[in-house]
Amino acid sequence: MIGIVDYGLGNLTSVAGAVVKLGYRPRITADPGELSAAEKLILPGVGAFGDGMTNLSKRGLVDLLNDLVLKRRKPILGICLGFQLLGASSEEFGHTKGLRWIDAAVTPLQPDDAALRLPHVGWNEVSQTGTSILFDSIADRSLFYFVHKFRLGTPTDASVVGTCDYGGPFTAAVQKGNIFGTQFHPEKSQQAGLALLRNFLERA
Amino acid sequence: MLRNRLVTVLTFNDGTLFRTKLFEPDYRYTHNFVDSWSVDEIVILDVTRDPDADRSAFHEVVTQFAKECFVPLSVGGGVRTLDDVRRMLEVGGDKVVVNSGAIERPEFIREISTAYGSQCVVLSIDARKSAGGGYEVFSHFARHPTGKTPAAWAAEAEALGAGEVMITSVERDGSLQGYDLELCRQVSEAVSVPVLGLAGAGNWKHFVDGIQQGGLSAVCTQNIYHFTETSIASAKKFMDQKGIPVRL
Repeated sequence: MIGIVDYGLGNLTSVAGAVVKLGYRPRITADPGELSAAEKLILPGVGAFGDGMTNLSKRGLVDLLNDLVLKRRKPILGICLGFQLLGASSEEFGHTKGLRWIDAAVTPLQPDDAALRLPHVGWNEVSQTGTSILFDSIADRSLFYFVHKFRLGTPTDASVVGTCDYGGPFTAAVQKGNIFGTQFHPEKSQQAGLALLRNFLERA
Repeated sequence: MLRNRLVTVLTFNDGTLFRTKLFEPDYRYTHNFVDSWSVDEIVILDVTRDPDADRSAFHEVVTQFAKECFVPLSVGGGVRTLDDVRRMLEVGGDKVVVNSGAIERPEFIREISTAYGSQCVVLSIDARKSAGGGYEVFSHFARHPTGKTPAAWAAEAEALGAGEVMITSVERDGSLQGYDLELCRQVSEAVSVPVLGLAGAGNWKHFVDGIQQGGLSAVCTQNIYHFTETSIASAKKFMDQKGIPVRL
């Protein structure tokens, strides 16, 4: 069973739908027992960083996830906001601490071209910059779907395995041991996205 | 480089897919024509007129659609409360489209963006040409004049937290005469969020014009494939040849 962490934010149904499509059994849940029993975890999420951390705390999920991911080394994939939450802190709506599994701050996207609109919405290329099972048999510079206004900085303690460019380069995918994350939405990125999710589900 | 998007809009009346002309359901069709591997994004709108209508048929349609939809799905129609928003996300929407609900209570935009993030809110604006020139926003299936200009309303909505704006020309709906480029331009210049244009696309060149002259980030269509019997893929090839970055 694949545990999809339910913290009241995000397109959980879409993520679950993609997991079903790939032949796995998803469970959208905040229940400690169920999350502990899951083979793998997905931390989805759209929305604001502060709300994300607040909601995780309120549901008692921060300590649980720390235990499952850091101590028991359960594979986890953070998507979009879930990816940003892996980081140390965010400037979004004041300074908020993240899960701090990856040493990188979340800052606003600041494209160097005034004609580029924000949020960054749509399909953009991801350049594969490292070796990760996430991108196995996915062509370099494949297009993935992004929708975000903030970006995770370059981590000091995790591999940047994909970058994207929107008026300047930014981190699009990271891996640190059993911790994976993508700024883009694999569940909404058609063949390439489903292939990436399958890589995580099969091989992480 | 970020690609310009080609978005398919599907309108449902009492759970049945219709095309529209001048904002009235025209005739029904099936969604077999949606080339689901080439489309960049899908918008599904419930245009059922009766505000008290049972929306379960629509929710079921979205649920079924979402199961095989691996591109972003925006869902709207009659969205007025955070409960409506939650329901739309539960049945598989990634974003919600608001229109009259935001006209009635602009603060609603802020409530959604606070709860779910601004990327979750698409403000849909229906506009008609005014007698004295210019444009006016109409709500409630384009029947009620609001006194607002589309540019001012789009800017207000952006300040309230709308993440994207979809601008529709009422007169061009179902016309196949091309987007109202002046309307698109006024709105795209008024905001810094992405703007989607809808109503009027009748051939591939209209997509190119909407992006190059209307300043659109995304071009939407609901009727064109029905008439041309050609695919989204061929539309994109045409756009690519004209120098527009698209996802091929």
